[in-house]
Amino acid sequence: MSKITIEPITRIEGHGKVTIQLDDRGNPETARLHVTQVRGFEKFCEGRLFWEMPVITPRICGICPVSHHLASAKAGDMILGVKLTPTAEMLRRLIHLAQYVQSHALHFFYLASPDLLFGMEADPARRNIIGLIAEMPELAKRGVKLRAFGQKIIEALGDKRVHPNAAIPGGMNKALEVAKRDEILREIDDIVADAQFAVNLIKNYCAEHSGEAQKFANFDTSYLGLVDGQGNVEYYDGKLRLKDSKGFLLEDVDPQNYLNLIEEKVEDWSYLKFPYYKKFGYPQGAYRVGPLARLNVADGMSTELANKEFAAFKKLSRSGIVTGSLYYHYARMIEMLNAAEGIRELVQNEQILGKDIWVNSKEIRGEGIGVIEAPRGVLIHHYWVDQSGKMLKANLIVATGHNNWAMNRAIFDVAKEYIKDGKVSEGILNRVEVAIRCYDPCLSCSTHALGQMPLEIIVYNADGGVHQVLRS
Amino acid sequence: MKTLVLGIGNPILGDDGIGVRVAEALTHRIDDGDIKVRTANTDGLGLLELILGYDRLILVDALMSESVEVGKVYRLKLEAIEPSAPSVSLTHHVNLATAVELGRKLFLEEMPKEIVIFAVGVKEISQITEEMTAEVGSAVPEVCELILKEVATFT
Repeated sequence: MSKITIEPITRIEGHGKVTIQLDDRGNPETARLHVTQVRGFEKFCEGRLFWEMPVITPRICGICPVSHHLASAKAGDMILGVKLTPTAEMLRRLIHLAQYVQSHALHFFYLASPDLLFGMEADPARRNIIGLIAEMPELAKRGVKLRAFGQKIIEALGDKRVHPNAAIPGGMNKALEVAKRDEILREIDDIVADAQFAVNLIKNYCAEHSGEAQKFANFDTSYLGLVDGQGNVEYYDGKLRLKDSKGFLLEDVDPQNYLNLIEEKVEDWSYLKFPYYKKFGYPQGAYRVGPLARLNVADGMSTELANKEFAAFKKLSRSGIVTGSLYYHYARMIEMLNAAEGIRELVQNEQILGKDIWVNSKEIRGEGIGVIEAPRGVLIHHYWVDQSGKMLKANLIVATGHNNWAMNRAIFDVAKEYIKDGKVSEGILNRVEVAIRCYDPCLSCSTHALGQMPLEIIVYNADGGVHQVLRS
Repeated sequence: MKTLVLGIGNPILGDDGIGVRVAEALTHRIDDGDIKVRTANTDGLGLLELILGYDRLILVDALMSESVEVGKVYRLKLEAIEPSAPSVSLTHHVNLATAVELGRKLFLEEMPKEIVIFAVGVKEISQITEEMTAEVGSAVPEVCELILKEVATFT
């Protein structure tokens, strides 16, 4: 039996590698994305006060720290047993949507669009953001502007662009200044237009490349995401909805009950666990999260332009369930438009300038659960505390974890296409990279900040010797 | 003239924090609506977002290279950090020169016309510590004075 290893050879901060196991006839039997990085955050949290969690847990990620920040604060709200003031909730939604704009823009323009616009076969030296700036400056400009806009709002509310300090259990620690609100108002129409431009770009790409988009890493799973009271895509709060691969509603529950839905499987070759839907078992219960999943489980979107795009997206399949991995990019841009419009609605409402932003409580309940949609998918923070508020235990389920099975499956699909009877076709490196990137895993952020994911494929002989080495 | 004084670095990596320390020290010494003092710990493209809209950029960072004298303050022009010259210790892939070049391609009107860099020679930035070495730390007052003089000459 032969074993093929695809290993990132430089900048392995995300510490992932891919191995492909061939059967006796030289065809892929399994594909595995090995996440060998262990962060140990759940352990660091023990013994600290729950008040500190919103500033400790964002350090898990440099790209979506706001999600951890808010999930933490939400768990804290529940421990205190408080309900937020309307202004506090609006401010939390504002910083959250700002993160969606910056994170989705970063991913699409800086990381994903070079693959799509230059083609997956293009030279990696050109297929990156630098190449994009050189050849399509008008497009790159919009990407930079969108990201900067999101970052600016995060900074206005959280003092810092990367690891903000804005939300606290019970509310927010700072009101929004009028001048800063006005600045957002001045720019927001352009930002909505830029987001619409990005939607059109990826929509046209998917139409022009529908063959590829339909074929590439397309498989069935269930889908998990939050929805609001009207069944719209929801990012900050709401109900946890699970649909199967045909669109059949499996669950629509209060997120506090997540433990009734999800179990996690541990595989001995990865530190990243594999969550699955309890009732279906593993791996039949594998589900996906993130932009594609959110659109798959929802009935609509809360804003006008995004809702129109949502309806068009749903028409891609008869059941309304879109399964191809490349459609993550399309779904992601519709969400960015939704987020931009959501920001506009928030800042047009004078209530966002309110000063009543924090509710205190003397009560300390033993348990708190904060569930939120991070840009990459459902994020769960579950804390257990003692009477003084000291953390006894933390359970964190991150978005990249939910998509773990799906990423492995996507790589397997690519491998089957590109490895036949022991012959490894050219282009496999790029395709594996593109497949992983659809899911925008944290892993990919840290291993290829500028859209380059250096990979090495080692083909092993049956006896374990190196048969062939391929490098990107 | 709208000026940005930008201290770059990671203060938990010892001497890499020099830029941040200088910016912190200057925050209370500059009281001018046209001058903004801030810190950043980001890569080249992240930096690009921060510098748009200013006429002048004064950047403070650590400079690590075999040829630098530790603790010495260098006043550099952007041209000095073209690829072959010792590179300013920006994290990630895109260095400052490249970021500025790209910025000028995309946002010529919004880019600072003038960029001055104060770089302090450092030897090592891989230890996790919030303390700077005495040699590098003692450069903070000197850099502050140089920057105050620099801003005074133009405003």
